[in-house]
Amino acid sequence: MRPTNPTGRSTAFAGFCAVLALTAATTAGCGGDSGGSGSKSLDLITGVKSDPFYITMTCAAQQEAKKRGVKLTVNGSAQWDVAVQRPIIDSVAATHPGGLLISPVDTAALTPSLQQIQNAGTKVVLVDTEVSDASIGVSRISSDNEAGGRTAAKSLAQLMGDKGSAIVISVKPGVSTTDARIKGFNEEMKANHPGITLLPVLYDNDLPATAASQIQSTLAAHPDLGGVFAGNTNTAQGISTGLQAAGKQGKVKVAAFDAEPDEITALTNGTLDVLVAQDPGAIGRQGVDQALAAIDKKKVTAHIGTDMVAITKANMDQPDIKKFFYQAAC
Amino acid sequence: MTAQAPAPVKDRQETTRRPPVPSWLRRLAAANEAWTFGVLALLVAFFTAARPSTFLTRYDITQIATNAAIYLVLGVGMTYVIIVAGIDLSVGSVLVLSAVLSAEYTIHHGGAKSGWGTIAVSTLIALATGLLWGALQGWLVAKARVPPLIVTLGGFGAALGAAQIITGGQDPAGAVSGKLQRSIGFGKLFGQIPWLVVIAFGATLVFGLVLAFTRFGRYTYAIGSNPEAARRVGINVDAHLVKVYALVGLLSGLGSVMWLAYFGTTSIAGHSTDNLKVITAVVLGGASLFGGRGSVLGTVIGVFIPAVLSTGLIIMGVQQYWQDVAIGVVLVAAVYLDQFRRRGRDHG
Repeated sequence: MRPTNPTGRSTAFAGFCAVLALTAATTAGCGGDSGGSGSKSLDLITGVKSDPFYITMTCAAQQEAKKRGVKLTVNGSAQWDVAVQRPIIDSVAATHPGGLLISPVDTAALTPSLQQIQNAGTKVVLVDTEVSDASIGVSRISSDNEAGGRTAAKSLAQLMGDKGSAIVISVKPGVSTTDARIKGFNEEMKANHPGITLLPVLYDNDLPATAASQIQSTLAAHPDLGGVFAGNTNTAQGISTGLQAAGKQGKVKVAAFDAEPDEITALTNGTLDVLVAQDPGAIGRQGVDQALAAIDKKKVTAHIGTDMVAITKANMDQPDIKKFFYQAAC
Repeated sequence: MTAQAPAPVKDRQETTRRPPVPSWLRRLAAANEAWTFGVLALLVAFFTAARPSTFLTRYDITQIATNAAIYLVLGVGMTYVIIVAGIDLSVGSVLVLSAVLSAEYTIHHGGAKSGWGTIAVSTLIALATGLLWGALQGWLVAKARVPPLIVTLGGFGAALGAAQIITGGQDPAGAVSGKLQRSIGFGKLFGQIPWLVVIAFGATLVFGLVLAFTRFGRYTYAIGSNPEAARRVGINVDAHLVKVYALVGLLSGLGSVMWLAYFGTTSIAGHSTDNLKVITAVVLGGASLFGGRGSVLGTVIGVFIPAVLSTGLIIMGVQQYWQDVAIGVVLVAAVYLDQFRRRGRDHG
């Protein structure tokens, strides 16, 4: 077991080790033992190469692979685009790796490519995103987005003093991760914070300028607006600009997902008030472990949901919170 | 002429059975922008009546104008390009590239705490980037004879790609001087009018007048109506096209400075549909995609119709999906009204 594990990950990890201990007679798998998987090669294909979330995930996966003594080759799409990711998958398939960790950028379009690579004997582990076909992948590891939405709602409600209106401005409907976050957010608000009026969700199509004008219009219609849950970084930027122009910065609390470097800066500056950080590092590490377990024909956990943590200005200096900050480079 | 005066006999349309129409009203109705302006006025009147305590009071005209300012600046350039029967799909990406290059200079010369010297140089870098990129695209359209759709589609991808190469795809931190943000982004002239609005209307006024009253403007219309005829009367069509595309590039550069000042970041991923928004505004304002027709005043109206509509619908609490439907319907209806009027005039 690694020292100084964050609470969420360590429990998940401990559970995984316990499963291994129960089912596998060998000692391989936990505690950095590299026995048995030395010659195996792994590949990792991320969704967007330059995204700090995926960079953090990649760094952790590389560390874990090094520790387990396997070779990990990293690839990633330049954009969130099926047409960009599919050729990468096909070229990786040609090398017949023992295991493939992938964040598919589409729930359906990549299924044939992944089916093919799986049939050729490669153990596929889906990290962060998923495909709808349940036969793909030996394990699926992602953040529990509904829980993340609830975490955001709890923190935001606390900052709002449990009164006023709250609104969600998201990117676009029909994205499984953000839809789940909104669902969790709305459920938590309705169930446990009756003093807060929940306004209908708005979508800005990833355009900060649209988010800025939407938040100003909402402010005009609902002067008691006290909190906003932003779908992503671009949206959060637009919202904080809109609030600043309307002279409401600080009065309306803004919660956003992820903990990218510029979001941390925004938290320090007070343009954002709550960050709900995922744990991409844990996803990467678990991905490597699960792939190796599958290759070694050991027990594999089919679904793993990693925890999320709420970062505010008050707790951002604590070391057990700081390690959730995403990295821009390894 | 007074309001009671009978219509001239020679005008076939104005038979005695119709009530006489005052001539100022008829002139106004014949003006290109009158009908789309009517749509805008109708929308404003509707939202004001529906939410008198909110629309244009708490949420005032300066907020709408601030949010529309950057699209307006891009729209002015696009008006020129569309009048010469061209198109520029690259505006959003050129804006991003200009913003990124100027941000790179700011980052290495003081970052968020940098002073006016850095602001001036980074602004010049943004304007020059836009101008040069635009001129290059203009040269490809005019001299290399590549269709503008292809040139600017290529430019759209290449400029965005270049910006991603420079930044590694992430919006860099410390991209804007805090001074620029406080003074231009959120500052107001005389404490009343946001500087972004002042800049946007300044640019609109200058280039609107240039289009309407100067030789440069007349050449623009002439080339859009019939490039061959324009060439034969001695207009240097190629040089003029380069200038027009350089102008839209320059205005994209200006837009990037305004963006940095207002949003404080390069927003590399946030400009993929700027081109559609801006082209829609220009066409809504009465410009023809086949060239030769359009005006900056029309574009101003065309930028404001969607802006007013989306804010008004949010204030009324309309569900988002219905907002998109309503905006789509109004866009098509406004252009249909305009076409209807033109047909009437052309046949009458």
